[in-house]
Amino acid sequence: MRMTAKLLAAAVVAAVAGSTASAESIYAPNLSYRTGPFAATGIPLMNGQKDYIDMLNARDGGIGGVTVDFDECETGYSTEKGVECYEKTKGKAIVTQPWSTGITLQVLPKTNVDEIPILAPGYGFSPMADGKVFKWAFNAPSSYWDGASMILQYIDSQDGLKGKKIAFLHLDHPFGKEPLPFLEKKAAEQGFELVPIPVGLKEMQNQSAQWLQIRRERPDYVVMWGWGAMNAGAITEAVKTKFPMDHFIGVWWSGHDADLDLVGEEGKGYKSISWSFPELDAPVMADIKKYVVDPGNSQSNEKEMQGVFYGRGLVISMILAEGIKAAQDHFGTAAIDATQLRWGLENLDVTEERLAELGMTGMVPPFKTSCSDHTGHSGGWMLEWDGAKFVKVSDLLKPETDAIAALEVEKAKEYADANAPWPMNDDCN
Amino acid sequence: MLSEIFVEPFADMVAAPDFLMQVLWEGLVSGILYALIALGFVLIYRSSRIFNFAQGIMVVFAALTLVGLHEAGVPAWVSVVLTLGVMFVLAVVVERVVLRPLVGQPDIILFMATIGITLFLIGFGEIIFGGENKVMITQELGIPTDSVVFEPFGGLLILEQKDITAAGIAALLVIGLLLFLNKTRMGRAIRALGDDHQAAMSVGISLQTIWVLVWFIAGIIALVTGIAWGARAGVSFALEVIAYKALPVLMLGGLESISGAIVGGLMIGMLEKLFEIYWGQPLLGGNTETWFAFMLALVVLLFRPQGLFGERIIERV
Amino acid sequence: MFYRTAGQFKTSYSADQALFPVRQDAVLLIVILAFAWIIFPLTASEFTFQTLLIPILIYSLAALGLNILTGYAGQLSLGTGAFMGVGAYACYKMVTLMPWMNPIVAILLSGVFSAGIGVVFGIPSLRIKGFYLAIATLAAQFFLVWLFEKWAWLYNYNASGAIQVPNLDMFGVYVAGPQATSFTQYYVVLAIVSLLTWVCINLTRGRPGRTWKATRDMDIAAELIGIDLMRSKLTAFAVSSYIVGVAGALFVFMWRGAAEPNLFDIPLSFRILFIAIIGGLGSVLGNYLGAILIVGLPVVLGIVPEALGLEITSATVEHLNVMIVGGLIIFFLIIEPHGLAQLWRLIREKLIIWPFPH
Repeated sequence: MRMTAKLLAAAVVAAVAGSTASAESIYAPNLSYRTGPFAATGIPLMNGQKDYIDMLNARDGGIGGVTVDFDECETGYSTEKGVECYEKTKGKAIVTQPWSTGITLQVLPKTNVDEIPILAPGYGFSPMADGKVFKWAFNAPSSYWDGASMILQYIDSQDGLKGKKIAFLHLDHPFGKEPLPFLEKKAAEQGFELVPIPVGLKEMQNQSAQWLQIRRERPDYVVMWGWGAMNAGAITEAVKTKFPMDHFIGVWWSGHDADLDLVGEEGKGYKSISWSFPELDAPVMADIKKYVVDPGNSQSNEKEMQGVFYGRGLVISMILAEGIKAAQDHFGTAAIDATQLRWGLENLDVTEERLAELGMTGMVPPFKTSCSDHTGHSGGWMLEWDGAKFVKVSDLLKPETDAIAALEVEKAKEYADANAPWPMNDDCN
Repeated sequence: MLSEIFVEPFADMVAAPDFLMQVLWEGLVSGILYALIALGFVLIYRSSRIFNFAQGIMVVFAALTLVGLHEAGVPAWVSVVLTLGVMFVLAVVVERVVLRPLVGQPDIILFMATIGITLFLIGFGEIIFGGENKVMITQELGIPTDSVVFEPFGGLLILEQKDITAAGIAALLVIGLLLFLNKTRMGRAIRALGDDHQAAMSVGISLQTIWVLVWFIAGIIALVTGIAWGARAGVSFALEVIAYKALPVLMLGGLESISGAIVGGLMIGMLEKLFEIYWGQPLLGGNTETWFAFMLALVVLLFRPQGLFGERIIERV
Repeated sequence: MFYRTAGQFKTSYSADQALFPVRQDAVLLIVILAFAWIIFPLTASEFTFQTLLIPILIYSLAALGLNILTGYAGQLSLGTGAFMGVGAYACYKMVTLMPWMNPIVAILLSGVFSAGIGVVFGIPSLRIKGFYLAIATLAAQFFLVWLFEKWAWLYNYNASGAIQVPNLDMFGVYVAGPQATSFTQYYVVLAIVSLLTWVCINLTRGRPGRTWKATRDMDIAAELIGIDLMRSKLTAFAVSSYIVGVAGALFVFMWRGAAEPNLFDIPLSFRILFIAIIGGLGSVLGNYLGAILIVGLPVVLGIVPEALGLEITSATVEHLNVMIVGGLIIFFLIIEPHGLAQLWRLIREKLIIWPFPH
């Protein structure tokens, strides 16, 4: 029994591996999650990512003449499934897009051995910015510490930070804990009180205890690192407990239109920092409509396409496409491999002019990566919910790159030491 | 340290009585929902000795069906009726496909089968309804969404009208259920089956009919729970985890006692909230609600192995 | 024909009670072991190692641990995932506090910690029975996972709250961490799983096993014939938690490479319970059969649509997967409530008399 079952499984695996190996395209899988408690926030992003690549394939015949085989492997935000997907796709993939801080942390050490770049735009592990330590990992255009820094600057510009009390409502998961080292450091430096309030995975939908705590602590601001069902839960509780919404600021993953739709007008004033913005009149949107939506190849719908997350999905795929293009131009070959893509992602230069060419002006701030800076620190805008949609309420905010870089180097070193022997990239300086 | 455990929490409670009342109210509202889910468990356990793990997913499934039908353009109250129809079909299918072939198997096998049902419904539901978080059609059903604000002791106490409505509906449901079980022929048949299968069948009670009926009632309870909980936080598959919160209620109240489920649910709802706010958050780093109820039930069970309201266990060789 | 027992005479009771009363069983086992030890590792691809071979072995071991408790001693437990977590965290603390420690020794020692905690949470079983006990084990499940999250010492104050397996070597070969190859890890897992399986087979056939079975079948009756119930139940908890803890350490160190607390949450416990029940309670072989089905099936199902050239989105595949696994659980419970092991037993009976049925 045991033997035959194993043999059968092995045979199936072998047959499949053999049949799909010879395709003339670039294989760029996405570890998506359209199921599970985080699906609500995942789906619009995945749709945006997919539609952008589909648009490139339909409009330009791919990138540099080769089509991009954009495949999804479902993880359900489960780390275990994510690793399985990574193992399944790594044979021919030129990139891995892990889509969860948990999965990122887990595949991070493996990518050094397998030599596949991780592309984790706006998520993952903030010290990944240090390209000397994390040769294969990229989290352009902004890291979580950038986000925390911009939120603090915004609060500082409104009311001043000193002596304030800031509640940090976060998912009790690697993702939610990510900005804590930076926030703690800033709290000590700038003299505000930080109250971390964790929300367990099982309590995402019922946060009454957390909001009772917020009511007791009476913080001046609530900063939220929420995801999936947690966002909707927090926003409805905030409305219910009559917390002033304009003192409630979320990270970019907590600025999902559908979550705010639940409360509509009552959510007016809620803010979210973001490195992307949905410009509905941008030429790229028209192209997507023409090449993807009209032929009926999109899984999205009109309402979703107007949201922040769909637009962000487009930007994420744009970053990947730009990386591929940079590598193609540099190496003079269309069918690039993983190592060449790594070079491309390390030499991204998305300028205003380039954004205009892409038809994406205003959808993401310009940024540039380098060998030692894998993030680019693009900065972002503060968005505010006006009762029906998100609007920009600030100019481009820039993170305090110096303070963050110092912390990045320190934490990256800690990571490398804990995982010794860790291969460093000595080509950078 | 001792003062932090034994003195300060109580001092806090006295210092801000309005806040204490708010905590108790929030606990009570959660407690009502725990009690409702536990009630679904108890009904099925009493009549068929099945520990129905699928009760949690039935809540999600009922709520999603309701919202899904409404999104498809069906008027709100018609969708409620149609959802009840779907829950009835579900009850029949479960009885036919799963329970009937497994009659007489050990408890653990039936328990596993309900986990199988849970997985099946999760996959099935996600294919049909998708994974997005949906908004419960609160207004369409005529449930008020404003809040009532009191100012006891010069403080602030916010009661949501939909929570009050949920409490009222839950109370009506329980009264209706008790009347049904005690006053009608069907209800007595359910209780008879719970007392002794063989004897009940020998006086002509149909096992199949009763099982379908019981699963259908559990479905109705699931729908009510789904509406009440969905109105608070939206409807999505993440709701499924609340099923776990009903388990310590069952330990505390006893697997067979309806009053135990209700009292146990309310008690656990309020105690876990009190513990979290006054002890858990200041001393233990919060999120104690995940385990507090289980630990409480465990301690109670060490002294009363049949739960607070369970029937005394008499063991014979 | 292949299983003909004619000519195999037993001349003593001990021969009749032997592990392999029929010679063909031993031959079959040798063939299976040859596949596991030689043929699979030489032919398997990286993907097969990572998604089938290693996880099947580890899940089998965890299910074996649970089976000792639930299948042999009759105490239903829903907290397996958390006890795996105890093993994993114990192993992590040991190798980070004492980097000179041999990783295999650390893995085998980590079970001792989970055994200790298992005994503590096993004490209520002396008073509480049946489903009440099952829910009581959930107390362990939820409390321990909460503790993994809150007790920062356990994960060495890592900012993201996860544990990361460092590179560990043994005689110059990396056996754990990102530098280790699947090939080495497979052998380490296989060696430990084989060893513990051998121990378990002998335990369950010997005096402890009989005591457990007596407790399972009717504990009051067992007490009346002089079995010390406390001892019987607590040893079952200890042995079971030890094996589960070792499986947990293997799970993280030999397969996953990193872990966050909610990895050990209730879905993992249920997964292992499925394996034990579908495989067959009170059987050692069943755990392997169950693990092959539960671990292998989703992997195969994930590949089938692609192989057939069907255009199904990955999300739909996943949903179908969940549905099919749920449906199969019900299906197997209906056709054979005693699990795949019983199915094999029936097939074997048939084979012995084939082609001349009575």
